[in-house]
Amino acid sequence: MSEANRFGSGPVQSAGSWHKYFFTGAVVLLCLWVLVPIYLLLVNTFSSPEAVASYPKKAFPVVDTESLKFFMNYAGVGQALWNSIKVATVTMILSISAGAPAGYALSRFDFRGKDTFRVLVLMTRAFPLPLLALPLAVMYIRVGLDDSVLGLAFVHTTLALPFAVLITYSLFSGIPIELEEAAWTLGCNRFQAFMKVIFPLVLPGIAASAIFAFVISWNEVFAAAVLTIENRTLPAFLLQGLSDSPLHLKFAGGAVLVLPALLFIFMVRKYLFSMWGIANR
Amino acid sequence: MSFKRKSLVVALTTGMSLLASGAASAEVLFWSTQAKPVEEAQAVREKVLAGFSGEVDFQPSDNGPWLTRVEAEAQAGEGKIGLLGSLHGNLISLSDNLSDLSDVNVDGVNSTFLELGKLGTDEQKYIPWMQATYIMAANKKALPFLPEGADINALSYDQLIEWSKNMAEETGSPKFGFPAGPKGLKHRFFQGYMYPSYTNSMVTKFRSAEAETAWNKFKELWSYTNPGSTNFSFMQEQLLTEEVWVVFDHTARVADAFNSRPDDFIAFPAPAGPTGRGFMPVVVGIAVPGTSPDMAASKELLSYLLQPSTQIETLKATNFFPVVDVELPADMPAAVQKSGAAIAAMSGSADANPGLLPVGLGDLGGKFNAVYVDAFERIVLAGQDVRTVLDDQADSLRKIMEEAGAPCWAPDAASDGACPVD
Repeated sequence: MSEANRFGSGPVQSAGSWHKYFFTGAVVLLCLWVLVPIYLLLVNTFSSPEAVASYPKKAFPVVDTESLKFFMNYAGVGQALWNSIKVATVTMILSISAGAPAGYALSRFDFRGKDTFRVLVLMTRAFPLPLLALPLAVMYIRVGLDDSVLGLAFVHTTLALPFAVLITYSLFSGIPIELEEAAWTLGCNRFQAFMKVIFPLVLPGIAASAIFAFVISWNEVFAAAVLTIENRTLPAFLLQGLSDSPLHLKFAGGAVLVLPALLFIFMVRKYLFSMWGIANR
Repeated sequence: MSFKRKSLVVALTTGMSLLASGAASAEVLFWSTQAKPVEEAQAVREKVLAGFSGEVDFQPSDNGPWLTRVEAEAQAGEGKIGLLGSLHGNLISLSDNLSDLSDVNVDGVNSTFLELGKLGTDEQKYIPWMQATYIMAANKKALPFLPEGADINALSYDQLIEWSKNMAEETGSPKFGFPAGPKGLKHRFFQGYMYPSYTNSMVTKFRSAEAETAWNKFKELWSYTNPGSTNFSFMQEQLLTEEVWVVFDHTARVADAFNSRPDDFIAFPAPAGPTGRGFMPVVVGIAVPGTSPDMAASKELLSYLLQPSTQIETLKATNFFPVVDVELPADMPAAVQKSGAAIAAMSGSADANPGLLPVGLGDLGGKFNAVYVDAFERIVLAGQDVRTVLDDQADSLRKIMEEAGAPCWAPDAASDGACPVD
């Protein structure tokens, strides 16, 4: 049943149970690591301003939705949320449609500079956005992409692309080429073989890397704050003001920012598990 | 099949162009680094700007994106921003991109601030919008620990140290809080409060013997200061959690404490030193960028913001005080009443010694602040020798003043050429 039983009794058992305690402890610690901040965020979101500032905290606060109501009535939150969803969705589509073919090429073909390319693709993450934002904004204003969903999505795609390429690369590499070859011998051309054999197999993984792109776009602030001014995304619209706001609004605003992303990840969690190789139930 | 594909292409391109087209509108985009906290932004939109005849889109932003965006529009030669609102220090670095506002009616606007708004040129680069300053705030629980004979409205730095010592020793934990966190405004304390109070100077006597005394006094105060202060940036938070009882901070950064629990907190003037009660006003200006899409509408909004009634609404929304002569109504929020009284006591005190914000430093303002912050970190946090640090930092300060060629400002006596560092 458990690992300890397999080792029988005696000193080995104590080593085994020590191992078990360590394992359980680590699991509990990791869970707390993630859950405690979210718990505190929620508790303080649903507390009155006085309760937020008071100490010690009650485990289950008297529910007070005052702080949350503030954001419900905050002019522009809805629009900003909608902008964020649009930008993140376009980013998702763009980064997969560009990243997956690149990942496939990396895994199936040998070409000159392949290794260099794999390193270079990461280089887009090497330049801090505040450095790039000025020339980028000037260019965007000149070509008319400024303050648009598509323009910002291009930037976010650049940020998400390395991950999309590398994740899909490892996905395609995990699928034996023999499967494709078998399809070719049975009369498929390259594209058909890909669509009929490979694509269904990697779909969950592709979905996972799409989610990754979504989250990257959702969390990005600086480019969004410079490149969109009238059509701002939620982080650009809210996050900057939150850092200077009273504590209870920080918590409520944090919840407003985190919950949509959490909800989204929760909905698509089975794809994430498949990316990490955990069996899909 | 081909029809299907064609319709797909059409759908995609229309989708893309729909996404790409921004909202074209005639509203004035008000791009500000002030009133950034969500509650303030909300109040500015709903209370302050609601009375304007035209349409306004108020967008507050962090300094970094704010500046980058304005610079990008200036470089591109076209832009969407109609009105800029920011601190004196930020507007200085944009001087070349700002339109001349000499033709705007500025009757009743504070003339010292108007002069600051020329940024050393012949043009009116910005017009003061609102002002604030730094004060002290305390939890009423701290009052019993006041040193004997001390008048809370006329404290000296020695009394503040004694007070903090009493609280630390009798309650068992330090109760004085100082905004030395990453976003805290500590440099303004050294520039506008400590130096003028001890040396009657901000720049010239940077490394004087008096300055050495001042830093040693501050080290003494620091020993009774809550060590968490290096994380504090908005002292209203620590006042409300009662982590500390007595604080120094910007009026807008303690306002929430007064407004949420008016009966628990008091405001009072900054302490005085041997050369008077140093204090520093903060000026926020409004300016029109050269790339404004509608110059007339921008100026119209600017004039609207200067009207006395708008200024009062601005005060209620942001806790920044008017820059025009206005009669304040009685029904103001607690923070306004309390800080207002403390500011009046501070500026009206017999030993008042106001210092101006740095003038004429251009984009060296950040380096200028760094001189004071570095001195603080080396002397107080790292415990380095005061004399050595002041000598080092004085060299940096001298270089900055010479590079900028900025003449002295109050409380330093006016100079010909760059302000000297003795």
